[in-house]
Amino acid sequence: MGLLQGASELFPVSSLGHAVIVPSLLHWNFKQSDPSFVPFLVLLHIGTATALLVLYRSQWVAIVRGFFTAAIRGQIKTDPERLAMLLLVGTIPAAVLGVFLESRIKSFFASPYVAATFLIVNGLLMLGFEVLRRRSERGTSRSEQESHFGDAECISFVAAAIVGACQAFAFVPGISRSGITIGGGLIAGLRHQEAARFSFLLATPVILGAGLIEIPELLHAGIPLGEYLAAAVLSGIAAYASARFLLRYFKSGRLDPYGWYCILAGLAALALLHFGL
Amino acid sequence: MTRSQSLAVGLGALGVVFLLIALLYALGVLQILTSSDSGPHYKHAVLFAVLAVASFVAANFARPKTA
Repeated sequence: MGLLQGASELFPVSSLGHAVIVPSLLHWNFKQSDPSFVPFLVLLHIGTATALLVLYRSQWVAIVRGFFTAAIRGQIKTDPERLAMLLLVGTIPAAVLGVFLESRIKSFFASPYVAATFLIVNGLLMLGFEVLRRRSERGTSRSEQESHFGDAECISFVAAAIVGACQAFAFVPGISRSGITIGGGLIAGLRHQEAARFSFLLATPVILGAGLIEIPELLHAGIPLGEYLAAAVLSGIAAYASARFLLRYFKSGRLDPYGWYCILAGLAALALLHFGL
Repeated sequence: MTRSQSLAVGLGALGVVFLLIALLYALGVLQILTSSDSGPHYKHAVLFAVLAVASFVAANFARPKTA
């Protein structure tokens, strides 16, 4: 479960959707209605967030330093300072929506059938983002097409807030947080690799914050903490490897393969669930 | 960002309000929009503390700078 969550969290394929569907299909002993299920997923998310912190450690040092410098000065002068403020603006809408809506949305949609259906929707969204992107591309080679788009620091503050708010859609199992933020980044004019970087940086404080706040709940839930921590470590390792792979992939790759995967996986899951296989 | 003294004061005041709300959630006094009706709500408290910090930062950005 830890490997599954870590690998699927950063790929634009919805980790929550997989966490709801796969245990049902494989008849694993997980009850999604169990009070310890969400804290367990949160612990896995902490593993993922830690992996992202390790991956971007030097950037995070610059971002944190940039935040305090710009906040005290009241003016943005460097790229890390701008990125720090963009991440703040992008994180606030997600945090507000997360605190007030997350548990309601998750409990409302926590069914394998719903997750499989929204996995198909997620796939269609990925394909839609690429269709919109292709309309604004020029040139024939991939490097030429990508060269007309910008770095994460170039995104506008309004776009950062919208992309950040879109993370709330990922509370619906089947909709991918990274997918929707990478797609939003593409539409906002970022290169694929930069959209992925912005998505991963944007995800880190939300995932880490949500995880750290849930830790007291974990201690009260009477869960096998050792096993869950081992799962979190595996999740972190898988997430680190996934992020490295994706950043290399998005130098020239697109979201389409993940879109098709989500559509096929959603259809297959619906069929398997319907026929009780 | 538009710089004006009144905007900076407004954002600073908003920050203070957010800070008070954070405190009330942390102490369990405020129970609005929460899943349970009793006890402290640290998640809400942290959120409003972050909003307070963001408001203070925005206030500093809005403050007219002397050359």
